[in-house]
Amino acid sequence: MEKEKLESLIIDYIDGKLNEQDKAVIECELAANEDAYRLYKQTREVIQAIDKSAQLEPSMKLKSGFDKLLKAEMEQQKPVTAKTIFFSPMIFRAAAAIALVLSGVALGFWINKNQQRESELVKMKEQMDQMRSLMLTQLENKESASQRMIAVSQVVEMEMKKPDDEIVEALVKAMNEDSNTNVRLAAMDALSKFHQEPRVRKELIKSLGKQKDPVVQIALIQLLVKMKEKGVLHDLKKIVDDNGSMKAVKDEAYSGLMKLS
Amino acid sequence: MTDEQIMEAVQNGDLQQASLLFDRYHQRLFNFLARLTMDREVAEDLTQNVFLRMIRYRNSYRQGLKFQSWIYQVARNVFSDHYQQTKNKKADFVAVEKMSEHIADNEDSAMMDEQEQLLQKSMALLSEEQRELLVLTRFQHMKYEEVAVLMNTTVANIKVKVHRAIAKLREHYFELEKI
Repeated sequence: MEKEKLESLIIDYIDGKLNEQDKAVIECELAANEDAYRLYKQTREVIQAIDKSAQLEPSMKLKSGFDKLLKAEMEQQKPVTAKTIFFSPMIFRAAAAIALVLSGVALGFWINKNQQRESELVKMKEQMDQMRSLMLTQLENKESASQRMIAVSQVVEMEMKKPDDEIVEALVKAMNEDSNTNVRLAAMDALSKFHQEPRVRKELIKSLGKQKDPVVQIALIQLLVKMKEKGVLHDLKKIVDDNGSMKAVKDEAYSGLMKLS
Repeated sequence: MTDEQIMEAVQNGDLQQASLLFDRYHQRLFNFLARLTMDREVAEDLTQNVFLRMIRYRNSYRQGLKFQSWIYQVARNVFSDHYQQTKNKKADFVAVEKMSEHIADNEDSAMMDEQEQLLQKSMALLSEEQRELLVLTRFQHMKYEEVAVLMNTTVANIKVKVHRAIAKLREHYFELEKI
């Protein structure tokens, strides 16, 4: 019997979904074919492992966060009462409307003519500043790891030629101190974009001595080797000699030593 | 009161009713997203985002449609947006060795036996599509018919894909067991 068909029948057999005829066919195959029986035993073990797998419990933060957002949405839903000024009779209302439109158009035209070019430049600068400050605020969001990851990703997308001090500082802090591995890796990735900058390079080297998370350590070693950074030879040797280092990290450090020496 | 009746009430402006849907679905959606992202902290954020979208985009729910299909579609979109925003980094984010720590909190990890850890690591090696199919059908016990509606395909197609995913999972599981 073809392997894919056999595996499919085995799964249906374990799930109790076969008709009598197919059930007899598969039982016969299992009795006669050792490989088929091994496949059956393995598949059953995996399916049982899934069935046994426990439900994960979210933290209380999820419920409280939802209550907060529901309250905020309900607040927003309340109708806003606005003061209305009535002119009467009707002719005054129409006159007021026309006057308002005309003065608006005239004012707009005047402002537009004089300030168009200047305002475009200011607008662009404002947009950049807004993005930058939004990114920095999101990075400070202790509640949401996904927001922090998005913030870090934005740095890569901002197409900055040179990062400013505040951004480098925030990224270094995230790389070294964030509670979430994914955020730390994303921050390291964003910093690697500016690895030609001496201060960024210095921070990446410094970070190797600080990192305790093996996932980040391995990624950092790979990056520093790619940067051909010989200044980390001492730290790499320290990792290789440290009995407390994880084997995979030691192997990566050793391979780094070989490539850089 | 059925899910659909509650959702209709939410749609008609009775937002307070949304908390009933939260009570009924938050744990399932959290589990769905935690097993897809393999990061419980991120999964909590995304679950909250699903309910935010449920409230904000309540008018996109078509009356008569099964609520479960709709909310899972919202969850899939939330995951997909998150994945797109972070995809270049995501591939290496959660190393297989760290999987069980990311997906379990302290209480869970104490309970998580070796078999479960092996299972999580094997799941992480599957493609996104295979992982999602197994989470929906095997961990969340969704029927093939329901998944077919969600993925806009036939029941036969889902069955073939799920069986292939189980076969792949078995391969990874016993390869990792040897290590």
